[in-house]
Amino acid sequence: MMGETEAVEIDDILDDWFIESLKSYKDLHVYQLEHPTQIIEWTSGKTVCVAGYSSGKNEILELRLPLKLLADEKKGLCAERDFKVVHGGFSEGPVCCLRHIPGTRCAVTNDGLNSDLQLWDLGADDTDVIRKTGSLPGTSVSQTGSRIAARLSSSPEVLHGAQSSAVQLTQLGTGQTLYRLEVDSTEPLSSLKFVSETAFLASCCDGTVYLADTRTSAPPQASPPPGECTLWWTDASAGPQCRVIRLSSSGQAVVSDLRNMGGAVCRAQLDVQTSPRKPEDVTVAWAPALDGCFSVSGLSGLVQIYDTAGWRAEPQDASPLFQHAGHSVSSQHGDGSAPIFITTHVWHPERPRTLLSAASDGSVHVWDWVDPQTN
Amino acid sequence: MPEIKVTPLGAGQDVGRSCILVSIGGKNIMLDCGMHMGYNDDRRFPDFSYITQNGRLTDFLDCVIISHFHLDHCGALPYMSEMVGYDGPIYMTHPTKAICPILLEDFRKITVDKKGETNFFTSQMIKDCMKKVIPLNLHQTVQGDYNMTPDRHLGAAWIDKCRPDILISESTYATTIRDSKRCRERDFLKKVHETIERGGKVLIPVFALGRAQELCILLETFWERMNLKAPIYFSTGLTEKANHYYKLFITWTNQKIRKTFVQRNMFEFKHIKAFDRSYADNPGPMVVFATPGMLHAGQSLQIFKKWAGNDKNMVIMPGYCVQGTIGHKILNGQRKLEMEGRSTLDVKLQVEYMSFSAHADAKGIMQLIRMAEPRNMLLVHGEAAKMEFLKGKIEQEFNCYMPANGETTAVTTNPSVPVDISLNLLKREMVLGGPLPDPKKPRTMHGTLIMKENLVSSEQALKELGLNEHQLRFTCRVQLQDPHSDSDTLHRIYTHLKSVLKDYTIQHLPDGTVMVESIVIKVSSSAEDANAKVLLLSWSYQDEDLGSYLSSLLKKGLPT
Repeated sequence: MMGETEAVEIDDILDDWFIESLKSYKDLHVYQLEHPTQIIEWTSGKTVCVAGYSSGKNEILELRLPLKLLADEKKGLCAERDFKVVHGGFSEGPVCCLRHIPGTRCAVTNDGLNSDLQLWDLGADDTDVIRKTGSLPGTSVSQTGSRIAARLSSSPEVLHGAQSSAVQLTQLGTGQTLYRLEVDSTEPLSSLKFVSETAFLASCCDGTVYLADTRTSAPPQASPPPGECTLWWTDASAGPQCRVIRLSSSGQAVVSDLRNMGGAVCRAQLDVQTSPRKPEDVTVAWAPALDGCFSVSGLSGLVQIYDTAGWRAEPQDASPLFQHAGHSVSSQHGDGSAPIFITTHVWHPERPRTLLSAASDGSVHVWDWVDPQTN
Repeated sequence: MPEIKVTPLGAGQDVGRSCILVSIGGKNIMLDCGMHMGYNDDRRFPDFSYITQNGRLTDFLDCVIISHFHLDHCGALPYMSEMVGYDGPIYMTHPTKAICPILLEDFRKITVDKKGETNFFTSQMIKDCMKKVIPLNLHQTVQGDYNMTPDRHLGAAWIDKCRPDILISESTYATTIRDSKRCRERDFLKKVHETIERGGKVLIPVFALGRAQELCILLETFWERMNLKAPIYFSTGLTEKANHYYKLFITWTNQKIRKTFVQRNMFEFKHIKAFDRSYADNPGPMVVFATPGMLHAGQSLQIFKKWAGNDKNMVIMPGYCVQGTIGHKILNGQRKLEMEGRSTLDVKLQVEYMSFSAHADAKGIMQLIRMAEPRNMLLVHGEAAKMEFLKGKIEQEFNCYMPANGETTAVTTNPSVPVDISLNLLKREMVLGGPLPDPKKPRTMHGTLIMKENLVSSEQALKELGLNEHQLRFTCRVQLQDPHSDSDTLHRIYTHLKSVLKDYTIQHLPDGTVMVESIVIKVSSSAEDANAKVLLLSWSYQDEDLGSYLSSLLKKGLPT
């Protein structure tokens, strides 16, 4: 009978991690989606989109964060701990990449099977349905998915491409190509990101990074891979002092200044427990509101947060400042089937220590960690 | 085709005052009779004018079924039965019947005494209403506000693949994804622990039943694990009442609680002791569970008054508080309260609102729907604009409706009525010969259907019903011009019928008759006319059609 198999012993829940979490997290929320997601994308300060990636029909959901998390001074008076599905829709195929176009209620997705993009209206107050409004043909014949980037602009535009040779900026309303990245190499991309209103980084899986500007047709600045490894991930921090971090599948972390990509400001060797092989396996992200801190998932079954403050030019082993083990600890797959892996994670754009993480078992965690150094 | 009609009177594209009318099999049933907690005027009651514009509802309803004791499902029951007027049966489970009047009375007291309402039901009305209640066992009733994960003290909902014609589900929580129980408990323990560590006192106002026991078990286990020394108290009034109800309704709780209860008295804790009101003045940290839950009177209010002025202390409200209570006021952020005798109370302690309520969420609701496999889904208890996605999601797999209040949804059904056949009757049919029973070749047979059991032979039915059997036979005389002898005429009839009625059994019997199936034909000479014959046909009621056909045929004469 269902009730019997799901009964949990009270003593079980008071395990070490649980007791530890009373001090190590200010807030902790654990959710179980019907289907796992590979994307978490902010659509406002209070809402995120998640979507399924199975081969058939999938749901796209826009979730409002629990009110209790966002309440601040009135936190105690708010009992609301749940996600609210504010909008939902259906995609005919998997959703491997989803980007919200800032300033609009529009989102762009890619299914990871080719470079075509789908366009969506996330819906307003009068409806809770997310509708497909159109599609954009891909920029190349490729078997890998497109990376997508967007920033606030007067008319909605999207930067996209699956390979370094096929990156373009497309105007959403007209479908017109506004800009094309002039690069010959057909290396698959691991990420695309705007670093200013017109400048962007196109980062390749092999570790090469191109810095280009959509206003000019001049060739981009290319920066070769910073080390010996065949698979790299990249992220650029926000703000005037833009730092770029490149991370390899062997755990080499290299931090450079955007204006001097050839040199390295500091390096470190991170501990790798798993062996990431595909671009989707790893997520690396600078903390938007914690200077010098970045997070990584995919090198182990945890989300790890590092502080580069103590890093030097000579690579040394680095230990994480904080680790979120929630997904492997509260995993529902206790029967020895395929191990859980973290599919993605994101930082809250303003709250310094709030993150969201998702795993292959459908779990989504929202956590606000306590800096162990301030205890 | 028979239909089932469903009309929400409350909670149709709205939240609160659950009340759904169902017309099924010729009966009118009211499912739930709730109060809308957000209104103070008539909008808080379901709209009964849909049933009848004036007068009592007794003639229009066959019964009322109450799913559970939450006020938004039963809060309007005394109003409906005593003020609008209904004298028919009201069905609910035993525990619901026990708990309903307590909640209704509490609610009435707060609304009338605290808020000064006049158009409200009285204590006597609650009593009179409950007299009309007929308590039932679970397989006879529906279950409301379900949850797919088990509470510590209630079992999880589970359901057969019963394939109902209609499954009615609320939709408010179908767009919620619930935070885990573990995290809610973590937050509770964290807050309690932090308060105790700084030397403060924690007050937890609780209802007589429900969460209190669960939170006690949780705290006891935590205290043991962390080796904590601060005292935890539990008000004795609570213990007695709770013990009493648990003993009565132990079969309604889950396996684990049953085991615990049997092995030890639930309230023999190591760290939790009975409370005495003098303890409230003791220095140092402590945790106290006290009633009532909304801080509107009694012990919990007394303790609250003593502790409210100290910012090291904390009050944890584990549930919803009705408007007008102190609990409701402090949860709205009020930091200065007006007490009796115009004195004011400064609220300096920390106020924490924690929800441990037992609703399901999106995943749980879809799981249950898929398990039941309904032919049609009907959504209630949600706003129209916020239900479109859910409706679309359900429609991937099932038919789905979402009527507004007063709007009727009619669903056609195709009820199948299985009928068994008695062995004797079956054997008799086999003896008559002919091909074996074949579903593709229907064959007429005679029997009597007793709705209670099965299809039997007429004799058995008559015997069971204590009736005598009467046989009905028809006779008919046909005049024929025929100069032959009687036996020759008979033979000519035989030959004629054999050529015309090829599919029938025709026999020429040695006793001088011709038989067509069971119809008997005799020939005799006419007394008046030597060249005329009189044919006597006789048949039983079952062969009426063939008999009349034969008589018409023979009236036409025989071929030469």
